[in-house]
Amino acid sequence: MEAYLYSLATFAALNVILAVGLNLISGFCGQISLGHAAFYGAGAYAAAVLSVAGWPFALSCLFGALIAGLLGLVVGLASLRVREDFLAITTMGVGFLFLGFVRKQAWLGGEFGVSNIPSPMSSGAMTVLAMGIALAVIALSLHLNRSWMGRVFAAVAQDDDAAQTLGFDVARYKLAAFMIGTASAGVAGALYAHITQLIVPDAFGFITSITILAMVVIGGIGSTWGVVAGAILLTLMPELFRFVNEYKLLVYGGLLIVVMRLSPDGLAGIVHALAQRRRG
Amino acid sequence: MSLLEVRHLSIAFGGVHAVENVALEVAGGELVGLIGPNGAGKTTLLRLLTGVIKPDAGRIRFDGRDITREPVHRRAREGLAMTHQVVRPFRHMTILENVALATAQDIAARPLLALLRTDRQAARERALPLLEQVGIAEVAERLASEVPLGHLKRMQIARALATGPRLLLLDEPLAGLNPAEAGRIGDLVRALNEGGLTIILIEHNLGEVLRIVRRLAVLDRGELIADGLPESVIRQREVRAAYLGGGDVGQAA
Amino acid sequence: MFHVELLVVGLIQGCMYAMMALGLTLVYGLLRILHVAHAGLFTLGAYVGVLTANAGLPIGAAALLAIAAAAAAGPLLYHVVYKPLLDKPPHVALIASIGVLIAMTDGFRLLFGPYGIPFQENPWFVTGWSFGGVFLNAIQIALAIAAIVLIGGFAVFATRSRMGVAWRATVTDPAMAMTFGVDPGKVRNLAFAIASGLAAAAGVLVGLLNNLVEPGMGNIVAYKGLAIIVLGGLGNVPGTLVASLILGAAESFGTIYLDALLDRDAIAFVVLIIVLMWRPHGLLVRAR
Repeated sequence: MEAYLYSLATFAALNVILAVGLNLISGFCGQISLGHAAFYGAGAYAAAVLSVAGWPFALSCLFGALIAGLLGLVVGLASLRVREDFLAITTMGVGFLFLGFVRKQAWLGGEFGVSNIPSPMSSGAMTVLAMGIALAVIALSLHLNRSWMGRVFAAVAQDDDAAQTLGFDVARYKLAAFMIGTASAGVAGALYAHITQLIVPDAFGFITSITILAMVVIGGIGSTWGVVAGAILLTLMPELFRFVNEYKLLVYGGLLIVVMRLSPDGLAGIVHALAQRRRG
Repeated sequence: MSLLEVRHLSIAFGGVHAVENVALEVAGGELVGLIGPNGAGKTTLLRLLTGVIKPDAGRIRFDGRDITREPVHRRAREGLAMTHQVVRPFRHMTILENVALATAQDIAARPLLALLRTDRQAARERALPLLEQVGIAEVAERLASEVPLGHLKRMQIARALATGPRLLLLDEPLAGLNPAEAGRIGDLVRALNEGGLTIILIEHNLGEVLRIVRRLAVLDRGELIADGLPESVIRQREVRAAYLGGGDVGQAA
Repeated sequence: MFHVELLVVGLIQGCMYAMMALGLTLVYGLLRILHVAHAGLFTLGAYVGVLTANAGLPIGAAALLAIAAAAAAGPLLYHVVYKPLLDKPPHVALIASIGVLIAMTDGFRLLFGPYGIPFQENPWFVTGWSFGGVFLNAIQIALAIAAIVLIGGFAVFATRSRMGVAWRATVTDPAMAMTFGVDPGKVRNLAFAIASGLAAAAGVLVGLLNNLVEPGMGNIVAYKGLAIIVLGGLGNVPGTLVASLILGAAESFGTIYLDALLDRDAIAFVVLIIVLMWRPHGLLVRAR
């Protein structure tokens, strides 16, 4: 029972990191990204390869974050070239590209992935580490939102052309958003690799990207606490309601539709609206 | 030396010569009106000046520097500010926040440094006098989405002023306003110019333009067909012809 | 010879992509929505086709039924999901569409099982002819013919019929079209009906081609379809058709020559990303 709870907490923590990272890119900075799992995967693979080769855990994780951040930089640069409508499809394409590439690389294990990744500490300790990093990422996100970086992000998300005419280097900001968001996904990936000790390409496919997006959207795109709630909810839901696990995707899909119809600002939007009504 | 110097500026879109060999010099302190019939290329010229689009040929010098290929945000930071024809406020922010953001160019020059700064107060204190200057201080705390058009137009001007510009490009600031409002903003523009700010005013509202500017340039089908004192420009045959037989121009004068 | 065969097979695959992509570009042109859920209608058509065919219906009737079912479901989807979201920012409709697709895919899995349903009687799968050294089975030929007939028919409709002209007017300038008495609701319903019908036809044919109908069969096709419509220029019908054929051929050759580097399905997106970097507005769109 304990091991099960640890596992749940760990995955909730990982999902929080992923959702908060995606929220940074898509929520704060308005750059819709449908391929977040690629950065998750890049971090996982990078860290796994190093760890299997004998490198220390901390360095592997750092390397995972670095690779994911670099990939994020590349995608960010690509995002500067394309129109807004195209960005969703381009990021989706990046996700498929990553998967398509990784599947074919023998040195990455091909379809079978990377196994026997050494675990640096007990699973209990890993849980604590994951939760600690999740808290750090939340703190970063909250701080960022209050900082001038957050204010410029908000302007860029609203109207990047207008932000340019006010003298802000919009390109740099978009790249910063991508790099920070993807690097955090890389950290989550590195942790994931050492927790499960086995990673396969399918874990980082389009459905995973959509699941993370679902957490962000249902929680409330743009709200740190909202997406945290969304991440925890969507992690726990299939476990708490056993029957839901069987219908998991049906429920995700349904939730996405319902939330978009009724409250496009997600749970955070509902909470906000209730608070407004209370204030009168 | 002129503040703004435009030479042989041209751009074509799929065969249409939107701006054709335009030459213009604006000295510091001038208030230039730029008029022309619909489709004359006024907005295209503005977009070339601000850097949204790059010309096929020609040069733009701002305060001696060649800015022809410089990106939009660089030009803004060097003192070239604009307001948009269709207002583009940041709707989820208050009026004050909109303008305060514009004062933070220096703080926010580098994203990572901007991450470290959370101080809000200084920017607000810089923004409030600007709101007062344009006359909308009373709506400072209202959301931009809840404020009428006239106020938004003023907010855009305040926002442009917040960047500390040396040249202000106004793209039809009076569009969509009733005569009283238009008059008030016209007065504001003139007051800003009298305070030393160089302004290029693109406008359709000829009555107001003729009332406040001391130099008038006319664009027609991408070409600059007249440039000089308002009274003489509007009497020129080409200008009257451009406005379909002199109708609008004659009546406005 | 081998290359010719690759090309022909690729073009036929491209015909299938064209049938899917045309619907996507129709919807985008009208509503600016990336209709990811289009895949669901493809799969719906395939399921209706296989179930009715296995129940005894001749394949032609089964296909028509599939098309009719999808043509009804498409506009329904528009009314229930998209219409209320038209005034919201674009990502809202996109996410809702993704939700619909995921829900439909899982729904098919729950209703009909995850392993798929084969056609019990599928003689065309093994019948074929040789055309100058290239062997094509009956379904591939049917696919090519269907695509030409249906898309050609659509082209005639769009240029010659009143409804077609009305639709084109609505795409170019909705406000103007309305002043001429065009009912935007009717045009949208028609667009969804046509798009979904085409998808269903493609679905039935692909189901026959693989002799298997399974819950996720439309998904990757729809994602590629999105790549195609971007390549062709969003809302640009001829561009989309050209891009579909190019992609079909590229995949055909790519599977052989890029096999060591990339999965087949990733090829569409490599092409997409490379092209977008070179021409950010899409292949055939002139930059404004």
